[in-house]
Amino acid sequence: MKKEKAKNRSNIIWTLFSSVKLTVTLLIILAMVSVLGTLIPQTNGAAEFAKTLSPALRQLFVSLDLFDMYHSLWFQMLMGLLTLNIIICSLDRFPATWKRFSKSPGPDRKKPFERLAPEHTFAIHTPRTDAGSAVHDLLTSKYRKLRAKETGADHFFCGERGGYSLFGVYLVHLSVLLILVGALVGSFFGFEAYVNVVEGETVDTVISRKTRTPIDLGFEVTCDDFSVDFYENGTPKEYQSEVTFSVDGKKRMRESIRVNHPATFEGVTFYQSNYGTVPGNTVHLTLLKGGTESEAISLKAEPGKSLPLPGGEGTFSIIDLRANIMDLGPAAMVSVQPRTGPAMEFWIFRHPERAKSLLPPPMLNSPKFNASAFAPYTFQLAGLDTRYFTGLQANRDPGVSIVWMGCFLMVAGLFISFFTSRQRVWVRLSKTKDGLSVAVAGTCSKNPVGLQRELDRLTNHLKQIFQKDQAV
Amino acid sequence: MINAIILSYTTFIYFIAFFLYLLFMVMGRPFFGRLATAATLVGLVAQSFAIVLRWIESYQLGIGHAPFSNLYESLIFFTWTIIFLYMVVEWKTKNRTLGTFVTPLAFLAMAYASFSPGINSKIQPLVPALKSNWLISHVITCFFGYAAFGLSFALSIMYLLKRMDTPQKKNMFLKLIPAQDILDELNYQMIVIGFLMLTLGIITGSVWAHSAWGSYWSWDPKETWSLITWLIYASIIHSRLVRGWKGKKIAFLSFVGFCCVLFTYFGVNYLAGLHSYAK
Ligand code: HEM
Repeated sequence: MKKEKAKNRSNIIWTLFSSVKLTVTLLIILAMVSVLGTLIPQTNGAAEFAKTLSPALRQLFVSLDLFDMYHSLWFQMLMGLLTLNIIICSLDRFPATWKRFSKSPGPDRKKPFERLAPEHTFAIHTPRTDAGSAVHDLLTSKYRKLRAKETGADHFFCGERGGYSLFGVYLVHLSVLLILVGALVGSFFGFEAYVNVVEGETVDTVISRKTRTPIDLGFEVTCDDFSVDFYENGTPKEYQSEVTFSVDGKKRMRESIRVNHPATFEGVTFYQSNYGTVPGNTVHLTLLKGGTESEAISLKAEPGKSLPLPGGEGTFSIIDLRANIMDLGPAAMVSVQPRTGPAMEFWIFRHPERAKSLLPPPMLNSPKFNASAFAPYTFQLAGLDTRYFTGLQANRDPGVSIVWMGCFLMVAGLFISFFTSRQRVWVRLSKTKDGLSVAVAGTCSKNPVGLQRELDRLTNHLKQIFQKDQAV
Repeated sequence: MINAIILSYTTFIYFIAFFLYLLFMVMGRPFFGRLATAATLVGLVAQSFAIVLRWIESYQLGIGHAPFSNLYESLIFFTWTIIFLYMVVEWKTKNRTLGTFVTPLAFLAMAYASFSPGINSKIQPLVPALKSNWLISHVITCFFGYAAFGLSFALSIMYLLKRMDTPQKKNMFLKLIPAQDILDELNYQMIVIGFLMLTLGIITGSVWAHSAWGSYWSWDPKETWSLITWLIYASIIHSRLVRGWKGKKIAFLSFVGFCCVLFTYFGVNYLAGLHSYAK
């Protein structure tokens, strides 16, 4: 009793998962879920969007994982159901398909001839044995499998080709599984990370995008050079990083990385993703004495190193340097140490006019922003040496080759199932009063129009052969 | 920018072609049908010429790239593929009625490209991410897919119209539309071709994204909507093959599918706008 029940239950499950009704339902649910996923901002914009919701609604969204639904448990379960559906459905149907593929019908089947088209039959006067071998030769040249049979007055031939067409569907379904497996492998054993490398510097870790924590690469990446090209209208044309990969200080590989041309080392692939600048080590200053240009003195300074003032009034140094401060452009903080008295510190800007127009007056009037605070000198920031850094995306994805294999298989499978068909053709030679009657018929797994064309061709071909015979 | 001038003439030619196809179906005179085919062919040749010219011009400007890089160029190419595919179908089926339903799509797409103020017809330089041969294969396969779905959409409309035809009716327009089972079969063939092309398009797009950003799938709205479209057409194929759905149901689903195509193409830009919640 118990066993029976269990069997029944497994039967119900088997029936459910081998049904295409479930497939269509799942595909449509997936489509609708994806629609939702494009309406609700995922991960990046989610925080902002969440603020616009009422707390209760927000709580509901969070508990349903609606802000990161593609990684949620329920989405993965949906994928799992689809996988199970494909597997069970294929297992359920494969034996029947295999039977269709491997079992050949008797060559003397009557059924194909039941709907014989008049234009596919004609009479000849060739002797039967000659006619038989002619048909045999023609069919073997065109069809892979050929079987013949003589029954009393009739001589049958049956040729078959394109049997592989029956398996196209299995390739497509297998490919879906492969792609899902590849994605799973990638999410378990891979990572997505990024790293900024300043020209001339070396890093050995990258930062995970998901956890924001460093990942140890096990090798070093040096950016030897970075360059960026622009079109005439100012839009970027090409970014390029020259990168050296080394292990324990030993150089192993040099590559140039461009957008669309990543480089792979030890399973980690580096993509050109963005770039930026950091201040270099040389600051160009102009000192105006007494505020007049005629007494301008150009100086080069390095941050942190103190330099004497030209008139010997004391020393100064650059104690802070920013490539872009509050969107005002480059700025440096100068500290002047007079011979006697306390030190003074103030900011100087590369673009003082911009600073003047954008900063509020109380701020401007404070000594912190007065470049002439130490009379009689006025400090000007003439320029900064900047260095580029290259922003690299660094990914490891061992699943990607499985995904590409799946994609290839999918295209091949779609091609086979859409555009090929198994064709079987029958030729029957029957004795008549004054010779032989030839009849051509066929069946196919799909594309009946193609079959009709094939039968037309075959009939014409046979007619030609026998006409030639007759002419001799 | 002679190519843009030729293209705006092409818009006009496709409108004339539509008018002639319509005349052919309303009056039932084959002469107009032949004229319509000729006009469409002229439009196609002129458009092909303009696309090649545009390609050459981009090289003369020193920013050479295949002309599939912005909305204007993609609309032009979409029109080209749909007309090209239609010409193949007309030639294969020896039937002109589909033209009445396809040429308006081509005309509208061209008119939108040429006259919408928001669309820039200038040849623009490519940003580095767009410089990829995968991108070219991506655009070509996607647009052939969209064109096949466009034809399927037109065939669905014809199918629904044909249902109104009865032997007693004397409406020439309806009489000329092929029988329902022929439409249904052709519709399915277009869906199948479109599905294969869309699959190829999504795959080549993934390969491109993978080489440009290191991730073959990142669920961005455009990607997701192409997946939605793909899922809809996959369910059409299954419901037909296995559940034996035909005719009206398939026509209706094909309608839904094409709406998804349109949304993938145009609507997603609007979604991206939705994402900026700055009020
Ligand atoms: C996203 C997933 C799927 C895709 C892309 C897909 C694709 C396809 C395609 C393209 C065909 C048409 C083949 C032809 O024209 O002969 C097909 C047929 C079929 N599919 Fe799927 N399929 C998917 C999932 C499934 C699942 C989960 C099942 C499980 C029940 C299933 C069952 C079938 C069956 C029974 C056929 C008909 C085979 C025949 O008799 O010709 N499919 N599928």
